[in-house]
Amino acid sequence: MLNRSSRGLFVVGLVLLATAGLTGCAEIQKAAEGAARSSGNERLAKTIHGGGTLIGGLLPIGYEEEQTIGQAIALQVVARYGGVYDQPDLTRYVNLVGRSVALTCDRADIEYRFAILNHDSINAFAAPAGYIFVTRGLLKTIKNEAELAAVLGHEIGHVTQKHILDVIQRSKQIAGVAEAGLAYANKNPDAFKNVIDGAVKKLLDEGLDQGKELESDRVGVIFASRVGYDPTAYETFLDRLRTLKGDDRAFFKTHPDFSNRLSTVRSTISEQKLKTTGILLADRFTRSSNGAL
Amino acid sequence: MNHRHAFLAILVFMVTAMTDAAFGETLYVSAKSAQLRSGKTSLDPVVASLKIGETLEVVKRDDRWVQVKTAKGVTGWIYSGNVSESKPAGGDNELAALGKGFRRTEASGVTASAGARGLDKASESYANRVGITQQHRDAVDRMTANKIPDEDIQTFLKAGRLGEYAE
Ligand SMILES: [Zn+2]
Repeated sequence: MLNRSSRGLFVVGLVLLATAGLTGCAEIQKAAEGAARSSGNERLAKTIHGGGTLIGGLLPIGYEEEQTIGQAIALQVVARYGGVYDQPDLTRYVNLVGRSVALTCDRADIEYRFAILNHDSINAFAAPAGYIFVTRGLLKTIKNEAELAAVLGHEIGHVTQKHILDVIQRSKQIAGVAEAGLAYANKNPDAFKNVIDGAVKKLLDEGLDQGKELESDRVGVIFASRVGYDPTAYETFLDRLRTLKGDDRAFFKTHPDFSNRLSTVRSTISEQKLKTTGILLADRFTRSSNGAL
Repeated sequence: MNHRHAFLAILVFMVTAMTDAAFGETLYVSAKSAQLRSGKTSLDPVVASLKIGETLEVVKRDDRWVQVKTAKGVTGWIYSGNVSESKPAGGDNELAALGKGFRRTEASGVTASAGARGLDKASESYANRVGITQQHRDAVDRMTANKIPDEDIQTFLKAGRLGEYAE
């Protein structure tokens, strides 16, 4: 166990790390993160990674503020994608699958909520604080529950890895905004609007960086597999999307480069020794979506 | 690259401190909620309901199940997918709890709106600025308020033979 004295040592180490970071060695921080990761200590890697944000000169965005940001972004997603699809049973089913995956994800202490967007395009989005959306068009291309679980796992991954918050953090740095609490949002609605508009543009129009997408693929398939879903279902799904490529431009703008994604998923499955459980639950998916799509 | 060496030394030191310490005794509940059972199958009766972050002392490991003792002294079996060796979610745990507690109160600036619990003040004001319709506000509001009891998720997992209910 992590007893009091080793915890103390750990804190001392962190302080030293922070000092090293202050001398401007992002490279070292990266190396440390890599070293921690290859030694199998994913959490330490994350701590070092998270420490970097702190060292960057700004406090990380707290959960309460994250909820406000997530809600504001969610409003834009709903508005731009034709509103929420009014199918209570199907929505509940998507929530049950999503929350089952979220139950044992790496950030299980927050609420995750899922909604279906009434839109024919094939797409999915995750706003901070666990606001997750899939389009009706995406659900139509899915064949079983394991595929849905992996897709939702990917979106949950964007939330656990705080990808949008990272984009915002960077934009705040560029704008030279030193403080951004809820009070800030209420007192400076213009600045808050700029922050949200920037994040929405990145999320809906430009797409996140390839590195973030691959990271979400990696953690998403791990999360789905942790619940027992067959991880190879995600390969099948990505492969199917690749063949649909011609029909739907938007998705491929926000989620590009399928061969890269497929190989990331394959290597994650083999490196993490994810079990091919054969659990696909095609019947439950068909039953739950029957007539509603 | 002087301080690179110093840095790596610190790192090795930290990793060692953590791994040495991680051997054997303590695990944390990493699932949002989890059940402690009298035996190592999902059919065995629940002896305690556990919350994320709770500390558990390992008694014995057996394949996909771990026998543990809780801080309150209850001994039972927990599915290994529900525990981790490091404390989950780090420092945002307390913040998260705080956020939840304040979310529905005046203190967090929640505005009341018809039929629903209301958006946060800042996102409401954002919605006004960019002209989000009432219908879309209500949709996000409902999404925010949407709750599914943990028992329903357990029932769903069980029906799909997922998680601890796997065969
Ligand atoms: Zn993505």
